[in-house]
Amino acid sequence: MSTPAQEFLRNAATKSADLAHRRTIRTGIDHYEAAVARTGARFQDWEAARQRLHEVKWEAINHLDKYLVEFETRLKERGGHVYWAETAEDARRYIADLAARNNVRTVVKSKSMVTEEIDLTHTLEKDGVKVYETDLGEMIVQLRNEPPYHLMTPAMHLTRAEIADLFREKLGGVESDDPQHLVGIARRALRKAFFSAEMGISGANFLVADSGMMALTTNEGNGRLGTSLPRIHVAVAGIEKVIPRMEDLAVIWPALARSAVGQPIACYNTLIGGPRAPHETDGPEEFHLVLLDNGRSELLADPEQREVLHCIRCGACLNVCPVFRKIGGHSYGAVYGGPIGSVLMPHLGGLNKFQHLSFASSLCGACTDACPVKIDLHHHLLQNRRNAVQSADRPASERAAFGLWSWVLKGSGRFAFFGAAARALLRVAYSLGLARTPLDPLRPWTKAHAPPEIPAKSFRELWKEQRGAS
Amino acid sequence: MEQAENSGRDRILARVRSALRKTAPKHAAPAPSGPIFAPITDSLDRFQKECALNLTECVITSDMGASAAAVGEVLASIPAGGIFVQDAPQLRRIVPLWQQGREIRWSSEGGPLESSQATVTLAESLVAQTGSVFVSSSCGGRGASVAAPVHIVVATLDQLVSDLEAAFARLRERGAQEKNSMLCLITGSSRTADIEKILVMGAHGPRRLVVVLSR
Repeated sequence: MSTPAQEFLRNAATKSADLAHRRTIRTGIDHYEAAVARTGARFQDWEAARQRLHEVKWEAINHLDKYLVEFETRLKERGGHVYWAETAEDARRYIADLAARNNVRTVVKSKSMVTEEIDLTHTLEKDGVKVYETDLGEMIVQLRNEPPYHLMTPAMHLTRAEIADLFREKLGGVESDDPQHLVGIARRALRKAFFSAEMGISGANFLVADSGMMALTTNEGNGRLGTSLPRIHVAVAGIEKVIPRMEDLAVIWPALARSAVGQPIACYNTLIGGPRAPHETDGPEEFHLVLLDNGRSELLADPEQREVLHCIRCGACLNVCPVFRKIGGHSYGAVYGGPIGSVLMPHLGGLNKFQHLSFASSLCGACTDACPVKIDLHHHLLQNRRNAVQSADRPASERAAFGLWSWVLKGSGRFAFFGAAARALLRVAYSLGLARTPLDPLRPWTKAHAPPEIPAKSFRELWKEQRGAS
Repeated sequence: MEQAENSGRDRILARVRSALRKTAPKHAAPAPSGPIFAPITDSLDRFQKECALNLTECVITSDMGASAAAVGEVLASIPAGGIFVQDAPQLRRIVPLWQQGREIRWSSEGGPLESSQATVTLAESLVAQTGSVFVSSSCGGRGASVAAPVHIVVATLDQLVSDLEAAFARLRERGAQEKNSMLCLITGSSRTADIEKILVMGAHGPRRLVVVLSR
């Protein structure tokens, strides 16, 4: 039985050595970066936009009780139902009961990370409900029986040839691996489902407190169809999704699209408030919004990391992360991957199970720079490391090693002595030809790198000599 | 059910309130250097340019009669079959000019059919900043603008606003967010880049979005 940390190391090592995988990711990220560069000019002052988003989310999160109640009140006035779920289990049970009560056989689902978090699809399938993921990327990974690879681009790890093979096996009618042709196959495959499903399930990008509407952003239009045609619409949202005013979206929508995919704005930015109104042509007869806590209120209680709840799930931090680019989305073994996932997962899934992810970072800060809501991601990774050392299960050998390390660093004479001793030892070992063998004292490093040159003199010796000379 | 709802609600709200007793810091604002978006001087020019970039077909006409002719031209270019039309007096008036023997389902008769070849609706407003169309459930219902392969929007120049701020102000002014269960800012036609990040038009929604704008 290996621990999640051991599994993570194994998967990360395998994936980073998989050059075909690296090429696929590189292609995807290159397209993303070019698109973001093109869109950047839309913002005369991007830093001011980030500050605005930070302030909007700060206001909402730091008065969360007030805005949640305001949102709930207005949505109920519109005829919507609001269910407060403390745990993933609460949310699953509510939705499964709702489906059972209404004899739901078919569900069309639009892309939503929070429904992955509560593992909703498997629950419904166990009850015999057919669940169609309707976002193309999600549909592809569902057909492969895989979790999404990336918050925003679920099938980023697959080439068109692999997707063509998948469709050939599962859907049929494949004549080429041209993306246009493949999209047409997906459209036809889901068309019936949209018009026959009894229930549509979506996430929500934002919950707008002052109007009691939820905001949903999609490009494909699947989110529009799935929330318009079925008789029941269920939306699942974390309690942190609330924003104060509808007008806040005037900056949020363009910023989300820029950071997520490098578009000036997404195709469909929709606001939905409740079921079809009596005077309206069509729309669901019932609307249910499931507000999910599932660990969020505990994160809220930590003022140091509270701003992690500002996240709008754009995925920009994944795209810029040098670790994500090498190890890929599945290696994390977590619903939310990349820097935001490494920060968030210990809070949602337990520090012991997910603490190792915060150590898998170079702390370069690219994620912090990329974040459109200015979450100080790399400092939160550091705080998680501190918390892990203080309270999670870490090996006793680590504590001993760092005790020794700090004792050596605290004495100038000790530092010089152990430095010289280490260089001498390494010189002997390498003269015996032990470099890059299992007996190499630097084995963990030299497994994947050339052995370092051993300097003749220490920095302090050089400093003394050269300062003496001047 | 109500009982179960309330117990979770009260516990979550209690935890939230207790969590918020401690305050969290706010990031300091950078030195202000002007507005977030560059101001828009010529709304119509900007709207047309944005439409060209996001692949919305924008047809400018002199009056409603010319708009009706333009709608007719679009309909002449698509396969035979029924169309779905928002039941509005403006559209009822111009129907004879472009019906071309097609069967029409009015929004007052119910939602769009799966077999619709096109949808014709009005809009709440047009947004120059992003080349977008704001629609609501009053524009033929919730599914109208996404159910058919072609969506034709008939609009007038006085509906064009400069930016998103102005678009929200106009919605607010008319209480559109209270009157409608759905509002949608549509920018271009349905698309996806989920396969190798290559842009493909016409995923689940319309392949073509046509705005017919009369002066």
